[in-house]
Amino acid sequence: MANTDEKLQKIANDLLESGEVSLVIGYTKGSNPQRMRPAFITKTEDAGRLSFSRYAVQDLAVFLKKPEVKKFGKIGIVVKGCDEKALNALIQEYQVSRDNIKIIGVECNGIIRQNLADKGETAVSEATVYDKCLICNEHTPILYDYLVESGEPKLNVSGNIKPYAKIEELDAMSPEEKNSFWEKEFDKCIKCYACRQACPLCYCSRCIVEKNMPQWIDTNLEETGNAQWNLIRAYHLSGRCIGCGECERACPVNIPLMMINEKMARDTYELFGYKSGLDINAKPVFGVFSESDFNEFIK
Amino acid sequence: MARIGVFVCWCGSNIAGTVDVAKVTEEAKKVPGVVTAVDYKYMCSDPGQNSLRNMIKEQKLTGVVLAACSPHMHENTFRKAAVKEGLNPYFVEIANIREQVSWVHEDKERATQKAVDLMKMMVEKVKRDRPIEDVRVPLNKKALVIGGGISGIQAALDIANGGVEVLLVEKEPSIGGRMIQLDETFPTLDCSSCIMTPKMVEVNQHPNIKLYTYSEVEDVSGYIGNFKVKIKKKARSVVEKDCTGCGDCWNACPMHKNVKSEFNMNLSERTAIYVPFPQAVPLVPVLDRSVCLHFKKGGKCVKCYEACGPKCIDFDIKDEIIEETVGAIVASTGYDLMDNSLYGEYGYGKYKDVVSGLQFERLLSASGPTEGVIKRPSDGTTPQTIVFIQCVGSRDPEKGVPYCSKVCCMYTAKHAKLFAHKVHGSQSYVFYIDIRATSKGYEEFVRGTMEQDGAVYLRGRVSRIYEDEGKLIVKGADTLSGNQVEIAADMVVLATGVIPKKGSDKVAQMLGISYDKYGFFTESHPKLRPAESSTAGIYLAGMAQGPRDIPESVVSGSAAASKILGLFSKNEYEVEGTIASVNEATCVACFYCQRVCGFSAISRKEIKDRSGKVIKVVASVNPGLCTGCGACVNACFSKSIDVKGFMDDQIYAEIKSLAI
Repeated sequence: MANTDEKLQKIANDLLESGEVSLVIGYTKGSNPQRMRPAFITKTEDAGRLSFSRYAVQDLAVFLKKPEVKKFGKIGIVVKGCDEKALNALIQEYQVSRDNIKIIGVECNGIIRQNLADKGETAVSEATVYDKCLICNEHTPILYDYLVESGEPKLNVSGNIKPYAKIEELDAMSPEEKNSFWEKEFDKCIKCYACRQACPLCYCSRCIVEKNMPQWIDTNLEETGNAQWNLIRAYHLSGRCIGCGECERACPVNIPLMMINEKMARDTYELFGYKSGLDINAKPVFGVFSESDFNEFIK
Repeated sequence: MARIGVFVCWCGSNIAGTVDVAKVTEEAKKVPGVVTAVDYKYMCSDPGQNSLRNMIKEQKLTGVVLAACSPHMHENTFRKAAVKEGLNPYFVEIANIREQVSWVHEDKERATQKAVDLMKMMVEKVKRDRPIEDVRVPLNKKALVIGGGISGIQAALDIANGGVEVLLVEKEPSIGGRMIQLDETFPTLDCSSCIMTPKMVEVNQHPNIKLYTYSEVEDVSGYIGNFKVKIKKKARSVVEKDCTGCGDCWNACPMHKNVKSEFNMNLSERTAIYVPFPQAVPLVPVLDRSVCLHFKKGGKCVKCYEACGPKCIDFDIKDEIIEETVGAIVASTGYDLMDNSLYGEYGYGKYKDVVSGLQFERLLSASGPTEGVIKRPSDGTTPQTIVFIQCVGSRDPEKGVPYCSKVCCMYTAKHAKLFAHKVHGSQSYVFYIDIRATSKGYEEFVRGTMEQDGAVYLRGRVSRIYEDEGKLIVKGADTLSGNQVEIAADMVVLATGVIPKKGSDKVAQMLGISYDKYGFFTESHPKLRPAESSTAGIYLAGMAQGPRDIPESVVSGSAAASKILGLFSKNEYEVEGTIASVNEATCVACFYCQRVCGFSAISRKEIKDRSGKVIKVVASVNPGLCTGCGACVNACFSKSIDVKGFMDDQIYAEIKSLAI
């Protein structure tokens, strides 16, 4: 671990010193030893604060959409495999220029669920990490300028725990049952839009929900408006969401948003053979017109 | 304050028979903003239009809604009437209560309710209309014709004779297309090459026509008046300007076996350096590098080069890309025959003497492989009995295509006639389903084949053909007599169905024009706009649109030409102003709009501050290219694109009017 941190610090130091970047976004230790928090390093003397651990849950790519971060121009960023996919999607969608970004990839062997870590959990295991870690194929980031190997032991996945098990349960339900399940979940929504703010791919400067001439999506807290918001969020991220899970983590009322995201991702893969965030040169699946697109649904 | 007039049209009984027009009118009067509502028998008639104009004037209307037929029919009529009274044309909205209501519903009460709903939606829309200016695009007065068959040639000549420069691009080494392969043509039996070669020569000599043979259009972008075209001139290996067409090269070529002549439908061989037929235009050979020994054996064979007097053979010529800008395009890519081998029972490919209609044309032709003497491909003897089978592939939804190929009835009658003329005492049998001979002189022609030339017409299908002691035994049914028939024939000619030219779907995709499920190009309107494609500035001609005979192909070529000359009679082309526009303040430049745009109408635009520094990148719409289809509007996450005349608030208000 110490070794990983030193490497990160050295890379950040060198990048800042040479002027290749003017900002490095990374993790630093929180006041609680089992929490990490984002760090914005602009001076070489601060590079020593950088760290990485099994508690580094945040997807730092979210900060790249912020104007106050953008103004730094050339930026270095510490990313896990999942977060790096967000970066790829941002590059695909022209929100980040590959030339302006130095990717400091870290090998990740799973992130401990924050609620367990807060209760003192320290071991990385199938039972303690996020569902996304169990289905992760990108423990080593796909694209990077620097790779920092992890000293942590590999995560052993036995397959005994089924990630996102609830999705199959829901798939088996009738449309009415599904509807009543989601109605109940969306009923909790308080329209705080934390899910949107935490999402690295929700980068519109004016969200559709803020368009008020006309107001397509009701902003009040009732059934229709809540469903409208949650559905439009799901649609706007289908074929784009890379599954970092930040929306669900940010949700103060615990709506299981990752079930929606993961279901959409599975359907997209099944129907179009496309997974988001794997290739910066790929065309986003819903930005492609192809003669061979299936059209059986047109009756 | 909006002052809206609603005009409900009866369309005779077309609408009034199913929709209670008086009720629609009464309901219209109740909608806020509507100051007048009337119904009238024919709004499109002169009195109808006058009442619209008077009402605009008297009631000081700010917008009008016509509850009438499809906007495709009369939107322009009413817009023009409104413009005469000083309204912006886009303040005219149509509620389509004919195609979308009266023609598709029976229950009068519910149909009336739907008509009322549609009318209300349009009132809400027209209240929110903003004035829109049409877009004017300059025209490059030059035309491109793709395909040098008879329809393309006709189009090129007509356009060129109108004083406009034409580029004629032909894939094959010579122009002439399918027609020049034919022997004599029904119903007058003029020799095809006699009537066609003068036209081909005229093309070649015309000062306004630039001919590109052995060339293909590789890429087309742009829009009406301003198409950017890339033409690939394939390496001919012969310097055209120096070649005299003397033939020394192809006579010297050692490759005179094993390469089938495409022009003769594989019934003869050709050399590696060749002209497809003696009257080829231009009379300049092409060196087929895929079979030439020079290219296959590392440059050893140079026989043609040695034989060539003016030394115009150049093995190093490369494909050349020519870029041109044209204002209009004619797509006349022609046709192919269906694959006969789908019908195994007829033995095509298995028995040499079972041939296609086009192969028989070549056997009849004086320039063909047998110099016009009908000979069996198998042994070169002259057949005495020929069986003709019609509708092979055509009118066969199971194995072939459901449509009628239109020319087969006539050319089969012609084949039987010419066979009788050339081989005295011979006998032909024709298996048919129906005889379709509907143009001038056609029925008489077929009658003549039956009555004077003695062809036996049998109504029925052939079930099987097999070979027995040098004869082809044809087993079939004569459904009129109810008998099974068995004919020992020397040859069998299949009247194979026609299909669009291979690769024409790719041409359509390149041009951005629509095509049907068979691959035939689709007209903008099957009756009223038969020469226009679905894309402005692109016109259609010939068999690429569907089966047709020579006179119809010539007419369609002329029709496309007249449309283009009409277009070019003005200096600018007006495009409807209902195109996409970007809200630059909210655009985040994700360019999903650019990705989904089928017309390449969206580009990147940099917004700079006073010092010239780029402060923002946004999407930008090219008004000449945008068709207002709205694909970008759907793709935009932040709703930063709207189509003028179909703005977000208008659509929203329309939906709201239904919900309340």
